[in-house]
Amino acid sequence: MVNLTIDEKQVSVGKDATIYDAAKAAGVKIPILCHDKKLHPFGGCRMCLVEVEQMKGRLIPACTTPVTEGMIVRTVTDEIVKARKLVLELLLLKHPIDCPVCDAAGDCDLQNLTYEYKVNTNRFVDEKFNHAIDYDNPLIERDMNRCIHCGKCARICDEIVSYGAYTFINRGIEAKMGTEFDGPLNCEFCGSCVSVCPVGALNSRPFKFKARWWALNKVKSVCSYCGTGCQLTLGVKDNKVLTTVYDENQGFHNGQLCTRGRFGYQFVNSDRRLTTPLVRKNGQLVEATWEEALKLVTDKLAAAKSAPASAAALTTARLTNEELFVFGKLFKETVGTDNVDHSAGYAHEALTKGAKASFGITASPSEIADIQKAEQLLVVKSDAYETHPVIGFEINLGVKRKGVKLQIVSDKKGKLGKLPGAKTAVHAPGAEVALFNALCASVIEQGLAVDAPGLAELKGSLSAADAQATGLSAEEIAAIAKEFATAEKALIILPIGQGYPGHDANLAQAAANLAILTGKIGKEGAGLLIMGEKNNSQGAADLGIYPQKGGLTAQQIIDGAASGSIKTLYIAGENPVVSYPNRAKVEKALDAVDFLVVADLFLTETAAKADVVLPVVSFAEKSGTFTSLGRRVQNVRQAIKPLGLAKSDFEVLSTLNSALGGARYAKQGDVFAEIASSVAGYAGLTQAKLTDQGVVVPVTVSAKLTAVAAKTPAAQAGKFALVTGSALYHNGTMSRFGEGPMYVCPDGYAELSTDDAAALKVAEGDTVKLTSATGSVSLKAKVGKRVPKGVVFAPYHFGEASINSITDGAAVTFVTVGK
Amino acid sequence: MIMPLINGLKITLKHMFSKPVTLQYPTERPDVAPGFRGLHALNVSHDRAKCVACYLCPTVCPAKCITVEAGEDANHDKYAAVYEIDMLRCIFCGYCVEACPVDAIRMTQTFELASYKRADFTYNKERLLEKK
Repeated sequence: MVNLTIDEKQVSVGKDATIYDAAKAAGVKIPILCHDKKLHPFGGCRMCLVEVEQMKGRLIPACTTPVTEGMIVRTVTDEIVKARKLVLELLLLKHPIDCPVCDAAGDCDLQNLTYEYKVNTNRFVDEKFNHAIDYDNPLIERDMNRCIHCGKCARICDEIVSYGAYTFINRGIEAKMGTEFDGPLNCEFCGSCVSVCPVGALNSRPFKFKARWWALNKVKSVCSYCGTGCQLTLGVKDNKVLTTVYDENQGFHNGQLCTRGRFGYQFVNSDRRLTTPLVRKNGQLVEATWEEALKLVTDKLAAAKSAPASAAALTTARLTNEELFVFGKLFKETVGTDNVDHSAGYAHEALTKGAKASFGITASPSEIADIQKAEQLLVVKSDAYETHPVIGFEINLGVKRKGVKLQIVSDKKGKLGKLPGAKTAVHAPGAEVALFNALCASVIEQGLAVDAPGLAELKGSLSAADAQATGLSAEEIAAIAKEFATAEKALIILPIGQGYPGHDANLAQAAANLAILTGKIGKEGAGLLIMGEKNNSQGAADLGIYPQKGGLTAQQIIDGAASGSIKTLYIAGENPVVSYPNRAKVEKALDAVDFLVVADLFLTETAAKADVVLPVVSFAEKSGTFTSLGRRVQNVRQAIKPLGLAKSDFEVLSTLNSALGGARYAKQGDVFAEIASSVAGYAGLTQAKLTDQGVVVPVTVSAKLTAVAAKTPAAQAGKFALVTGSALYHNGTMSRFGEGPMYVCPDGYAELSTDDAAALKVAEGDTVKLTSATGSVSLKAKVGKRVPKGVVFAPYHFGEASINSITDGAAVTFVTVGK
Repeated sequence: MIMPLINGLKITLKHMFSKPVTLQYPTERPDVAPGFRGLHALNVSHDRAKCVACYLCPTVCPAKCITVEAGEDANHDKYAAVYEIDMLRCIFCGYCVEACPVDAIRMTQTFELASYKRADFTYNKERLLEKK
């Protein structure tokens, strides 16, 4: 620790702190424009100049100067104020004073400092900039006339997002923040640059002119897209969520968000939201009252109580823990059926079956904080960046700041592989389990294995065929195995989701085997992190929303509906028509069900088939808790009143439960108390205890090696291997209703390698027809170097030309590609 | 005893022959002082309202009687798509005029604001632009 004096205050800080950090610790505010706590010090704006007793004669920038023992710092003297005023005057010389029409006004560092330092005249005179304003971008508007050259946008894009969309171009007075060839901005649109811009040079276009910053009510909540559990602040006015507000002190991610989190909030106040219950009469869905709709549902569920095997329920993992708890109570206890499932059945198996078998828990043994503490990361699929972009930022930071080594094993290349020192091993499609088995075999062969329960069984199950099936050379596998096993702290990152049928219980067990076999479990910065797809995937696993007493899984429920054995089906928020494998089969099954209830925000493809549609609310209209991947339970806070007549799932499920003879749950807070008393790990938690930070649920791991048979699909001659997955801008099927993601990625596509595209004479944007044994679909072609030869990638989120028209639940679908 | 009576009549007599302070409204009209704060008007420049929808007037308004909604025009500039003042709430304090950074709103000398219908007290952008 280093002791120093700042403005007569004694403060003691770590030796890597700067004067700015020390001042912050001492509660002394030093004005800054170019500094951000997430970024490396830059020292560009000269606002933070201070006086140091030992370095008299010149002013010292606080943000770049490290502290030394006995330093005596003064942050406010006449000379300093004069210098800061000069800085502001020089900035205001070029900055247009268009605060009345600038959306940053009220939240503008330059405006605030100008006010604070009373800079109301300017000694200098010059012309303003006359740069063209970039209006072309649907999400980020760039007005470089307002830019004060702090460089934060370029630095955040480079250091954290690792995209590098911006850089300074030209010199001196001509210098400006430029893009690739000074053209329009073309990046991944996460909006990090907008969030850190101290002035209004970068603005959120969807929020343009919608409201002034000071008129917004700021509500802290949790993002409702992927499982990362990023905290966000909603900007609310007149019962509308108008924007997301950047708060650098939120969450492990320090307010960083991805495209969908930052720009995908419009689904909340979408015109397409359902606002009244709908009931099917004479084949048409017509508006009805809640009494009428709920009576129908109650009657049918009451009838189903006598034959519980004919009833089933599917839910999305987007509901709050409290809602899922009541969902479980209603169907598992009151109705008495175990035919309850979520996420297509396979998208939670890695947790509920895989982790259960290997670790004895339905969660990952590791948490998000382990990523930056690791020495070696083994990422399964480069898609980890697409499925969980903010986890991707954590990986970027780990690799670039902490020197974490990154190994990716994937069926295609991806952005993560471009990080410094990152290695991507591109294996045969669907060979993940085989690869992990081969890695385990190699670890044992190299004598790097530790003893663990089940070792003999595992040894017996490993075969040399696995290594061959991966398509990687023995040396490559040995090198990956050695690097992983010899690293002191090594972490495996495994994303799961409905787009990844191959990421099932087997893969989770195979990955767990490698972590256990190399002794990586139970250590900080090591182990296995299974990343659930939806905001509350972990919560749904914790609360046991899957068949546990021999009930039907989601796939079996669909089959049962098709065969007529399932007569009553309640679907809460799930959209099986688009997100479950084999669309034709799902559609047929849902048409065959006697009574289908869908509770959703929108009239989705699934809701359109329902007999009763119940309008429910988004995350912004309810309170409760979500459990993110890495088991962090966080508070979700209601920001606006429910739209129209919509009610929360909690209210709907609780009403149904009491109408059917079960308990009536009045408040979601009370239900959380019940969860705390009945769910392992949640004991002792209350919503008040979660505060703003959330609480990581503790787990007790009893690691065990399990033998897993790899079923690598054999390549088929003349056919392409279709692998599905997540697009960077989407999550599930709900992001389609957020305008932001749809501006950037409105349709599905099929991604081909340049070689294949050349052979097929297909250019970017051409329509290609993919035909499998299940069906065929026409998609726009995307051509690039990301996918290897013979592989096609397609995201699954889209309703039109949905990729599930040709998939049937296999990890790899073999298709022919034609024009 | 008699003196107060005489003094009182003196005052009465004086007023009988001086100019009356009352007005025969509405046939006689008052002289409105230049600083009078009457009905608002939106200023016009280059055939369009000067207002840039900065929201400072609804922010400063103590009676919360101003509703502004910004829009984006063809040149990507900000303008007031909606500008409404609820005269039933307005307290004629003039803060809106003081807050306006672009001199887009002023207060006229119009003081006759009575009306028969509640809806007529909501002055929208068109009505405020007409006022001279």
